Amino acid sequence: MRSRITGATLSVAVLLLTVGCSAQDGKVWMEHPTHFASGEHAFFSLKNNKDGSNPKVTRLDIDDARNQNWWGIYAITVEPKQILQN
Amino acid sequence: MHAWAGALAAALLLATAGSAVAGPQDVLIPLDQYTSATAKNLAVAHQAELLKLSAHIYHCLPWLMVAKNGIGFPHPKGAEGDDRYLSVWVTVDQTEDPRFGQLTLSQRVSAMFSRHGMYLLKQMTQLPEISGDADVHGFSVIVGWLKPGTADAPQQIVETLALFVDKPVLSDFLAKRIPTSEFTEHATLNVFDGKTRVGRVPLQVWEDNFDSTFKLPNYEVDKGQHC
Repeated sequence: MRSRITGATLSVAVLLLTVGCSAQDGKVWMEHPTHFASGEHAFFSLKNNKDGSNPKVTRLDIDDARNQNWWGIYAITVEPKQILQN
Repeated sequence: MHAWAGALAAALLLATAGSAVAGPQDVLIPLDQYTSATAKNLAVAHQAELLKLSAHIYHCLPWLMVAKNGIGFPHPKGAEGDDRYLSVWVTVDQTEDPRFGQLTLSQRVSAMFSRHGMYLLKQMTQLPEISGDADVHGFSVIVGWLKPGTADAPQQIVETLALFVDKPVLSDFLAKRIPTSEFTEHATLNVFDGKTRVGRVPLQVWEDNFDSTFKLPNYEVDKGQHC
C-alpha cells in the first residue's frame, strides 16, 4: 500500500515537475531559486489524512525512499582518493 | 517515460553517491581512517561541532546528501605537508532540469558553488572551536550533481566540484575584503566529469539564498531540531 502511494505520488510530482520545466534559459534557474527541483520530486512517502489532506514528510521518509536503489546500476562519479586523503 | 527515467536516475544518483542514506553520525570520517595524529586529534577534539554541522545538513537541507565519510578533516590529494581542512562532501538531489542543462560546465559549477558551496562554507566558519583551531588550515566543499543529459543514459554521470581554501582567504572573501577573482585565485579548485578530472574552470560567485530560505513543501523537521 505504501509503495503504491509512493508510486502515485512520484508520478504526479514528476508530471508537475516536467510541466514546470519548460524550456527557458539558464538564467531563470539562477534567478529563481525556488524553482530548483531539489527534494521536491517525490522520493517521499506522504503521510496523509484519510481524505488526502495535510501531507507530511519526515526526514526518515526521505531516507526510506532513498534506500530504494531501483536501478541496481551505479552512476559514474569521482572517487574520494582522486580528491583527498584522510 | 523521460520524466520517469529522470526521477529514477536521481534516485539512483542519491543511492550511489553515499552507498546508503546515513544519519548525521554515520557520515563522519571514522577515526581509524585518519593517517595522521593531527587529523585524528582534530576529529576527536571537535566531534561535537562535526556532529552539529552534520545534523544541520541532515535535518535542514534534505535536498543535500552527505557522502559516506563525507565530513571530517582530510587534506587535498597530493598536498605537501599535513595541512588539514574541515571538509564536507555532498550530492545534490536534482533531476534533469532543462534550464540547468542549458548552462555551460563553468556556469553549472558556479551555480552549484554559489548555491550550496558558499552556504556550507559559511556554516563551517560559524563553528567557533574548529575555526579557532590553529591546526585547521582551511575549509573544503565537494559538491556533486547529476550531469545534464545523462539521466536516460545506461549509466548516469555525476559532475563534481572540489574546492579547498585557506582560512584567511575565506574570511577575507566572506567579509568582502577581497574580490571573487582573488578568492578563486587562491583557492584550489578541481572539477570532475564523472571520474575524469577536468581541472580548474572559471568560477563566478554570486549571492544565492536558496539553502537558507527554501522550505521543502510538507517537510516536517524532526522534533528537537531547529533550522
